[in-house]
Amino acid sequence: MTKAMYRYSAFDKQFVNERVAQYRAQTERYLAGELTDDEFRHLRLRNGLYVQRLAPMLRVAVPYGTLSSTQLRALARIARDFDRGYGHLSTRQNVQYNWPELKEVPDILEVLASVEMHAIQTSGNCIRNVTTDEFAGVAADESFDPRACCELIRQWSTSHPEFDWLPRKFKIAVSSASDDRAAIDVHDIGLRVYRDAEGERRVDFRVGGGLGRTPVIAETIRSGLSMRHLLTYLEAIMRVYNRYGRRDNKYKARIKILVRAMTAEGFREKVDAEWELIRASASELTDAEINRVEAFFTPPSYPVLGADVLAAGESSLNAARLADPAFSRWVANSVVPHRQPGFAAVILSTKVTGTPPGDVTDVQMEAVAEWADRFGFGEIRISHQQNFVLPDVPVAALNELWREAVAQGLGEPNAGLLTNIICCPGGDYCSLANAKSIPVAEAIQQRFDDYDYVHDLGPIDLNISGCMNACGHHHVGNIGILGVDKKGEEFYQISIGGHAGHRHRSAAIGDIVGPSVSRAEVANVVGRILDIYVEHRTPEETFVDTVRRLGLEPFKERIYAAAR
Amino acid sequence: MPRHVEFEGTVGRFVDSQGRRAPVDLPLLAADAWAATPSAGLLLSTDAEPDARVQSAPMIGIDFSSFHDGRGLSLAVLLRTRLGYAGELRALGDVRPDLLHYLVRCGFDSFVLAEGCQIDTDDPRLAPHASHYQASVQNPLPVFRRDHVTS
Repeated sequence: MTKAMYRYSAFDKQFVNERVAQYRAQTERYLAGELTDDEFRHLRLRNGLYVQRLAPMLRVAVPYGTLSSTQLRALARIARDFDRGYGHLSTRQNVQYNWPELKEVPDILEVLASVEMHAIQTSGNCIRNVTTDEFAGVAADESFDPRACCELIRQWSTSHPEFDWLPRKFKIAVSSASDDRAAIDVHDIGLRVYRDAEGERRVDFRVGGGLGRTPVIAETIRSGLSMRHLLTYLEAIMRVYNRYGRRDNKYKARIKILVRAMTAEGFREKVDAEWELIRASASELTDAEINRVEAFFTPPSYPVLGADVLAAGESSLNAARLADPAFSRWVANSVVPHRQPGFAAVILSTKVTGTPPGDVTDVQMEAVAEWADRFGFGEIRISHQQNFVLPDVPVAALNELWREAVAQGLGEPNAGLLTNIICCPGGDYCSLANAKSIPVAEAIQQRFDDYDYVHDLGPIDLNISGCMNACGHHHVGNIGILGVDKKGEEFYQISIGGHAGHRHRSAAIGDIVGPSVSRAEVANVVGRILDIYVEHRTPEETFVDTVRRLGLEPFKERIYAAAR
Repeated sequence: MPRHVEFEGTVGRFVDSQGRRAPVDLPLLAADAWAATPSAGLLLSTDAEPDARVQSAPMIGIDFSSFHDGRGLSLAVLLRTRLGYAGELRALGDVRPDLLHYLVRCGFDSFVLAEGCQIDTDDPRLAPHASHYQASVQNPLPVFRRDHVTS
């Protein structure tokens, strides 16, 4: 069965192999003392290698979150052979290893290259892995599969001669669905891609969104550009940013600061003037190239199921749900509508109490790969919520999959709910962190372990970051928790009302509810916030709707009145 | 991609299959001084905003204050593709061997490495990749317009 995935050309293969050789030579020169720490730092970062608190951390690119079962098995092998038997799903749809040996990284890259993968530009001040909707290609609400657009950007941005040494890291996200699951409003560039009434593929460009120290919602600077102009318009944006973005202060170096300083209108004028001079260049995409890349993402040939088969599948699903409330709960939040009748997409939650959010063992990776082959077409996704997604599961197989997922610790019925916490590695691993984040996630999961209560609360995104850099996306958590350092002690600042822009709500940055609290207090404060929500909500409201309607005051009063 | 350089003293010159420009080596002057002595080379910082007058410079040097200052790469691209500069373009300052392949793709002819750095005349760092995805000054066609690689 042909997967709906990009496959490397001979050119891609050669390029990635050359990149491995280049990085191997850089590592050897560093180990031989021929490269300074600072010089090697910039070089290794462009290949995903951080030096962390305890060991190096290698971030592997999973382009736009799509993996084949073969690739996932290779990731499992790397976890076993080069790490401590596990890996970590990141909030940018990548996979990270926490314990590789610096000198073995070139060997890991070789394993990756053998399955058409790499770690190129997964860190450093360059264009990072492009992210998208984890349900791309199967979502019922999508205009077209955005992954071809992502792949075109991946190729264009790989070792770009001019844009590999930017003022700061640069993140691009693409969405083609009516519900934005890619958080395009909080990226350096967010692209909305769609077909217009005539069927022409078009792109809206948003720029200057981002989290970190200065959270900002992106502004649209160009709407309705033909897909042919995708790369030239990106080039114009990047050139303006590369030349004028601040380089004197890394906290003011992201494009959002430049856009704010120039105003969105001023930035747009500059970009448009630049683009007019390059729009007709050889970098203008051809229809042949767009079609070539798009052809890789042709949907698999789903079996056409008759009405009687579909009805039988539905009724057996309903019977199984009635017979088993635990299964029913899982179906309610982990099974996602599919564009193909008789199929569903399934979220496999990594958020099990006692395991750091996003961590998965080699055994779990192998199991997911096997399910992808057995139930689907050998394809897996990683979501920015740090879960696996199986994009193609027959409805009739859901119960069987669920039983096996539960046995593997991947059947937690909490997708979209309070305990499906987005969480960075935090102070346990990361040298940038001000505070630990994993124990906070665990304390919250332990406190809210009543499934019925958590389900009754409805959709809530609780996001935790161990520092300002906001890898845990705390600003756009409906409840956001940020680790801060106060005179050497770990404290946590709590915000509410943030939103990443999915579930058909506008993206928003959360508001801080008051003074930061100790680690022991965090779960109590969350509990009080939820009490207020439960008291005040109307039947059709989600948590964030209630917060938006009530404003901050009722929460502030109660949280801190009780804490006194 | 050039896989070779030639050295004359500290100045390295990229040599590719098409050969290279006739070498030029002149003292470099900052913009004001150069305006008074246009027979000299022009020295630009990476944040310079040059205009078409630079076309007449017999040589331009771009001074990289740090090797990760990517503005110098955009500046070179603009000199070559926007301002029509066709003379010798040299990278100076904090130029490191691993950066050379970016320089040549953005249109530089020559370089002076940072102190303490050296390379062989056929150092693999000159061309880590046989070819690239994007258009560049050196190769104005992106991979998808070069028909031999799309298959």
